Amino acid sequence: MRFFIQKERLIKSVQDVIKAVAVRTTIPILIGIKIDADENGVSLTGSDSDISIRSFIPKEENDEEIVEIVETGSIVLQARFFSEVVKKLPESIVEIRLEDQFKTVISSGNAEFVIHGLDPEEYPRLPQVEGDTHFSIRSDLLKTLIKQTVFAVSTSETRPILTGVHWTIQNQELLAVATDSHRLAQKKVLLEPASSGLEKDIVIPGKSLNELIKVIDESDETIEIVITDNQILFKAENLLFYSRLLEGKYPETSRLIPTNWETSVTLDAKDFLQAVDRASLLAREGKNNVIKFSIEEDGIVKISSYTPEIGTVEEKVRGQIKGDEIKISFSAKYMIDALRAIDGTEVTIYFTGPLRPFIIKTDHDESILQLLLPVRTY
Amino acid sequence: MMTKTWDLLEKQQPVVMRMLKNMLQRDRIAHAYLFEGMKGTGKRETAIVFSKAIFCENLQDGYKPCEACVSCKRIDNRNNPDLHIIEPDGASIKIDQIRYLQQEFSKKAVESEHKVYIVVDADKMTVNAANSLLKFLEEPDGDTIAILITEQIQKILPTILSRCQLISFQPLPKDEIIQQLIEMGISPDDAPLFAHLTNNIDEAYALKDDEWLLQARKLVLKLNEIMDYRQFMDTLLYIQTDWLPHFKTREEVDKGLDMLLYMYRDILAVQLNHEDRIVYPHQLETWKRKALHLTPVQLAQKISAILEAKKRLNANVNSALLMEQLAVKLQEG
Repeated sequence: MRFFIQKERLIKSVQDVIKAVAVRTTIPILIGIKIDADENGVSLTGSDSDISIRSFIPKEENDEEIVEIVETGSIVLQARFFSEVVKKLPESIVEIRLEDQFKTVISSGNAEFVIHGLDPEEYPRLPQVEGDTHFSIRSDLLKTLIKQTVFAVSTSETRPILTGVHWTIQNQELLAVATDSHRLAQKKVLLEPASSGLEKDIVIPGKSLNELIKVIDESDETIEIVITDNQILFKAENLLFYSRLLEGKYPETSRLIPTNWETSVTLDAKDFLQAVDRASLLAREGKNNVIKFSIEEDGIVKISSYTPEIGTVEEKVRGQIKGDEIKISFSAKYMIDALRAIDGTEVTIYFTGPLRPFIIKTDHDESILQLLLPVRTY
Repeated sequence: MMTKTWDLLEKQQPVVMRMLKNMLQRDRIAHAYLFEGMKGTGKRETAIVFSKAIFCENLQDGYKPCEACVSCKRIDNRNNPDLHIIEPDGASIKIDQIRYLQQEFSKKAVESEHKVYIVVDADKMTVNAANSLLKFLEEPDGDTIAILITEQIQKILPTILSRCQLISFQPLPKDEIIQQLIEMGISPDDAPLFAHLTNNIDEAYALKDDEWLLQARKLVLKLNEIMDYRQFMDTLLYIQTDWLPHFKTREEVDKGLDMLLYMYRDILAVQLNHEDRIVYPHQLETWKRKALHLTPVQLAQKISAILEAKKRLNANVNSALLMEQLAVKLQEG
């Protein structure tokens, strides 16, 4: 293997893939970044076995030569040293040359590093890109989709499957659901017509999706998504993001969502969010951050919290109320999360009873739904 | 880590290897195995070879790993992302290690269809760790294969035991190991001791160059002499000046106790007229003399004192205190 490459592009790619490189690992090879040079360009891969990021540097871009491949080949180099070395090289062109016994020479200007590499054969193989299940989605839509659901995944390992977001693809629709069994976030997205025949049911680890949002570049317009048996691949222009999927069956969530309601309250999202936030100031000191929500008289909703050692807080918010009066308690934190995810000017909460789950929706956006379980306090 | 090929192991453990071969050929691999047997019977090597067979891309005759493909090589270098080996971290396998496994197994395999985990010295799991391992032995998700390895099957929780297919590794008969060692050029005086310290012929043969062991044997016999002819104070002094500096780690102390134990077993053997089975043949005369002084009950007491000491050693008792207490029991009791 031997190639010449523009330093700036190499640095950027290294920074992209190093996010996936394992800090602590039981698999020794994963401390490295894999470099592959072929006729089309150079790709770098980093992985911690849960997520893998692959960055591709094409030979040419906009008629400008970025890489000159002299000889193709592969090598794995220790990520930490490689990234430090590349950053500090003096000239704008870097030569990387593989000698025998995985010895790799990195040179630029008068500086020359000889680094002992690792056998590229030992590196985990990423699934083949030609999956039968693939579709495209706008990158901003994908980001919203993730942000509106991933916060609700469980952080406890007792039920590992709940640490992921459940994606169901059916009838040209993608339904994403996340729940930690106290709350649930659901978002529906319409897919492009080309994916009409697709049917898939997968669970993606929440951690991977959080990483993915950080990696997606604003400049990428669409992201292609490929689903294989074990992994899901998000494909941007020059960046591939792989994540392992979770094993097992996701619990049936559609029946949790009530279909009828007894009381509906429409509120100004911003006012309500701030009121809840204020009420939670005292609630936070208490055990589980619980606030009370009750309908007082015509068009007035009272939000209150009471912690014996500290004191009480009470606030009235105007809203449009339909149906019966209700008194209900819930976690302020979960409500704040849900309201932030919805991100509308007006939200409507549909209640079916003080001990039944309730849903939060907005009229502007039918595709998103948040569900909260109340807390029994009376 | 020593790696052995299928053929080599087949010679050592013909029954086990035939069972595994049949399972592989008929594609009837259980989801949990417990490899049980004494030290040096090749359990760990077998577990590695068996996982190679599961992952191998170029399986020979439907059961034998090729040892040449990328998969086999990656297992040798511990770089296979779907094979996880858990070993005791210090004295026990901690709950965090099992939790790591749990996280790993809540996800799908990285590149193949299988996930294999090997738990070495599974008896060393803490109760918490064992219980949490139990959870996914009970409900294996996907194509997961567990191989637990233990030398002390009685220490495995019955709930775990009942969920594994038990595979017993038989040690080679001692006589046979001794015979083979003598054929390999080990002196008849040394061969019995080496054969008792391990069940593996290669390991036993390698002991001939083990300076530490040869010195240890000297110290053990010397301890016996001092206990026989000198004051108790001298024994304590000897333990402080000679014994403790040599037997430092827990494994070394354990080996020392074993060698001490063989000595009393020898005397018992002499009393029972099994002179051909003793571990220290060159001490035969001494043993004969001692056999006259000791009643079988006294001997049994001494032997149980040593076994007790071995047990306490596993419970982290300070080795100086342990040896002193043992010396009191051996010399005065």
